[in-house]
Amino acid sequence: MARKTNLYDVSKCIACRACQVACKDWNQLPAVIEPFKGNYQTHKDTNGDTYTIVKFIEHEDDPAADVQWNFLKYQCMHCFEPACMDVCPRKCIYINDWGAVLKDYDNCIGCQYCSYACPFHIPKYRKRQDIVTKCTLCYERVEEGLTPACVRTCPTDALQFGDRDELMQYAEERVKFLRVNGFPNATIYGKFELGGLNMLYVLTDSPDKFDLPVDPKVPGQIPFWQNWVQPYLGWLIPLALLGSATSFVTTRILANKHGEHGEGGHE
Amino acid sequence: MQWVPEYRDDINRVERFNAVARITHWGHTVTFILCLFTGLVLFCDGMDWLATIFGGYAGAGLVHRIAAVLLTLFIAFFVLFDFKGIISWVKDLLRFGMNDIIFVMKFPLDFLGLPVKMPPQTRFNGGEKGNSMLTPTCVIFLVLSGYIMWFPAIFPAGLVRVAYPTHDIAMVFATFMVCMHGYLGSFHPGSGESFWGMWKGTVREDWAKHHHPIWYEEAYGEKADAEKE
Repeated sequence: MARKTNLYDVSKCIACRACQVACKDWNQLPAVIEPFKGNYQTHKDTNGDTYTIVKFIEHEDDPAADVQWNFLKYQCMHCFEPACMDVCPRKCIYINDWGAVLKDYDNCIGCQYCSYACPFHIPKYRKRQDIVTKCTLCYERVEEGLTPACVRTCPTDALQFGDRDELMQYAEERVKFLRVNGFPNATIYGKFELGGLNMLYVLTDSPDKFDLPVDPKVPGQIPFWQNWVQPYLGWLIPLALLGSATSFVTTRILANKHGEHGEGGHE
Repeated sequence: MQWVPEYRDDINRVERFNAVARITHWGHTVTFILCLFTGLVLFCDGMDWLATIFGGYAGAGLVHRIAAVLLTLFIAFFVLFDFKGIISWVKDLLRFGMNDIIFVMKFPLDFLGLPVKMPPQTRFNGGEKGNSMLTPTCVIFLVLSGYIMWFPAIFPAGLVRVAYPTHDIAMVFATFMVCMHGYLGSFHPGSGESFWGMWKGTVREDWAKHHHPIWYEEAYGEKADAEKE
């Protein structure tokens, strides 16, 4: 089945945070109240009960110009090759047939491996249920022919949901338009990053201005752990058991051959 | 066929491990094995049956954490009540010399039961020295990385990511050593007497003379007796 993607166009976002509220509403998540931090951003980061946030990022690069205020809707990127899926010891993370990265919460044990393997550190621990949660791309809505709650509620059409190829075309047109209309660094994010993200961003500036990693990579310890330590190293344990069993047999056979050992062991 | 050599109290015996060392050792045996089996549930695939023994994955996680805390407490117990013993243990490990190298090189033959003549050993032979160095090092790494994984929020993310493979690597090496140690310290005919050294605290005098002549001479030989007097 063709990939279905969420597209977020920064240039159309007014940071009303309706998406944040709609997400809470649909997923029936309780409010998480954090103390005021001196800006409009409600939460420092996603958390166990907050799948999506709108970041308010301030830049003062050009002293002559005003403060540059960059908004960014932040949530699970639904990677094509999710690191969280590789590390999950319960194999409870999977990709569905249209590209959403999903979690089977019945099997989640709250170990948080996925949380730290994620290049964006998105999945978060929910203490009250001892599980790690994240955005589901509202797969249950999409499968009923609806759009995700955040997209449904977006008043400016900054969020759009649909066929990935169509949205990619649209994104490229938007970037072209933005580049000639005062945003020369406008770019698409999620086309090639990490082999592709099922979440597309139209950015008005380079990704680092939006607190996004310019060239995101799965942290090096994770593939070393998953591709070398996990599959191969463990064989040392059966080897030790086998060696001991061999010795157990041969010592006793040889003892019979050479005559019993002296009482204190081998003399 | 015998499993462990018979305990003989009709033969003169000498002390090998004091009570604190023995309590620490067996405390670590129980807690390590509990941690191992509850941990393998995640390390190996398809271990649902093992998790079931501990009441599912959540239960296994709880047992793992309780056993891990007890394991840490046994380390503290050893440090608090027999610090001198740790120092003399470490001192003996630092005496790693030619006799130990020859011992380790010849050991595979002895392991299989072929008759070999070993050079005289100190309190711990070459193999025991290796085990004494590797296993506690792995356990320290296991404890440190374990607490980091348990409370990832209070540690830097980079450290948490390093802790995962560290925990696995240390677990595999420690378990490898524990398997070998468990066998050599009990069912291996030559070294089996040392089982009683750790269980009852004493070993046969003739065994000590034969297997650890340097230690025997220093601790119980004529010179040591003369010093005591």
